Amino acid sequence: MLGWTKGLAYTLKQLTREKLTYDYPNEPIPLPDRFRGIQKFYPEKCIVCNQCANICPTDCINLTGKKHPDPTKKGKIIDTYDINFELCILCDLCTEVCPTEAIIMTNNFELAEYSRDDLFKNLEWLDENDENIRKVNKA
Amino acid sequence: MIRTEEMLLNVGPQHPSTHGVFRLVLKIDGEIIVEAKPVIGYLHRGTEKLAEDLQYTQIIPYTDRMDYVSAMTNNYVIVHAVETMMGLQVPERAEYLRILAMELNRVASHLLWWGTFILDFGATSPLLYAFRDREMILNLLNELSGARLTFNYMRVGGVKWDAPEGWIEKVADFVPYLRGQLKGYHQLVSGNEIFLNRTKNIGTYSKEDAINYSLSGPNLRSTGVKWDLRKDEPYSIYDRFDFDVVTREEGDALARYHVRMGEIVESLKIIEQAVQQFPKDGEIIAKVPKIIKAPKGEAFVRIEGSRGEIGCYISSDGKKEPYRLKFRRPSFYNLQILPKLLEGESISNLIAILGAVDIVLGEVDG
Repeated sequence: MLGWTKGLAYTLKQLTREKLTYDYPNEPIPLPDRFRGIQKFYPEKCIVCNQCANICPTDCINLTGKKHPDPTKKGKIIDTYDINFELCILCDLCTEVCPTEAIIMTNNFELAEYSRDDLFKNLEWLDENDENIRKVNKA
Repeated sequence: MIRTEEMLLNVGPQHPSTHGVFRLVLKIDGEIIVEAKPVIGYLHRGTEKLAEDLQYTQIIPYTDRMDYVSAMTNNYVIVHAVETMMGLQVPERAEYLRILAMELNRVASHLLWWGTFILDFGATSPLLYAFRDREMILNLLNELSGARLTFNYMRVGGVKWDAPEGWIEKVADFVPYLRGQLKGYHQLVSGNEIFLNRTKNIGTYSKEDAINYSLSGPNLRSTGVKWDLRKDEPYSIYDRFDFDVVTREEGDALARYHVRMGEIVESLKIIEQAVQQFPKDGEIIAKVPKIIKAPKGEAFVRIEGSRGEIGCYISSDGKKEPYRLKFRRPSFYNLQILPKLLEGESISNLIAILGAVDIVLGEVDG
């Protein structure tokens, strides 16, 4: 048999195979729990240790803390927390170093915006990003 | 006599057959290439310079972006270099996870090459079949590491995640599946007359040329040189697996095709054995300090990546950042033979020759 007819036979055999594509964006894509998407931030858990900002390879995290409003308690609480998603490469190192799991990856990955300014996400936005949060954060 | 004139033709930097931002300035006489000059650097990000300000753990995501088709091997070379400097003993389970991840990634990388190489000749359907099966590997690696391409999976001393439940079984099931598919691939392409005409005796170079140009990987093995670091300088736990080094004697584009197809089979052999030997429990990361500091001195390690030998040189002055970091990026070295191969060739062979070299521009430009 000619080589190309063999190839054609293979192609014809594939016709009856099950469809493999997803109807995205009409249906969400199934993603594993470990998938690294946009971070969720818990302001109440944060102890302002600055480890996430220090480990970030692209320096996209900026945070400031303030004194605890209750004078009987020691330590700081978070004041502002911004992630610049123009720079963030979703490498997962910030969630890896966080001692209190205040920052956790989610399965949300749709970051397209009309303006570059909108890629600058602040504490409130990251706090409200609370869908599809990763269940197991550390191995 | 008809007077002919030499013409200057720009191929790229935005050209689908260059597989990235790669520019070729061709001097052509009719359809014959007189001189070819590659222009690179459009994707240069200065990984090596950036690394001088980064801790070792922070460099790992940057290596993902060098050879983005086969990021696991890049991840491995940097952690392997740091581990060599620190003299770390990596736990057994972590080694097996690394091997599985690297070999799966090698198969995915060769599948992508297979699809796009044949796409360059104008055949669309093989690409879809290749991507269908590559997708299954990417899903496996996504489950393991949480990303489809930029894995950031390895850490100095081990790996970030243990295998999720049922993952090893999925990998075990995948091996016979792909073996079956490979038969179909050969049926579809390997005997096709058009494909054979476009690759046989095209872009041929000799053993001596390959060595003189410092080629490595399938580009070297297609000339008959039996050199594979997994066999000749075993790193990690490669000495525990039984596999062959695939070589061909012809040194043409078709030989490179068969070497890569053979390598998929060999990688599947390694995966199969690694799944069988996979330890039931154990640590996935060695005891390492929170801030990793490589001792004062220097080290060079090399491993067999999907495209050839990836090397990593670290010079450290004992701080948490390297003093100097250098990667030997195989695509960059393999690309150097291109001007020689193109000289005197017809312009219609250009794409087959470039495709058979298999470059990834992220790696060429660093």
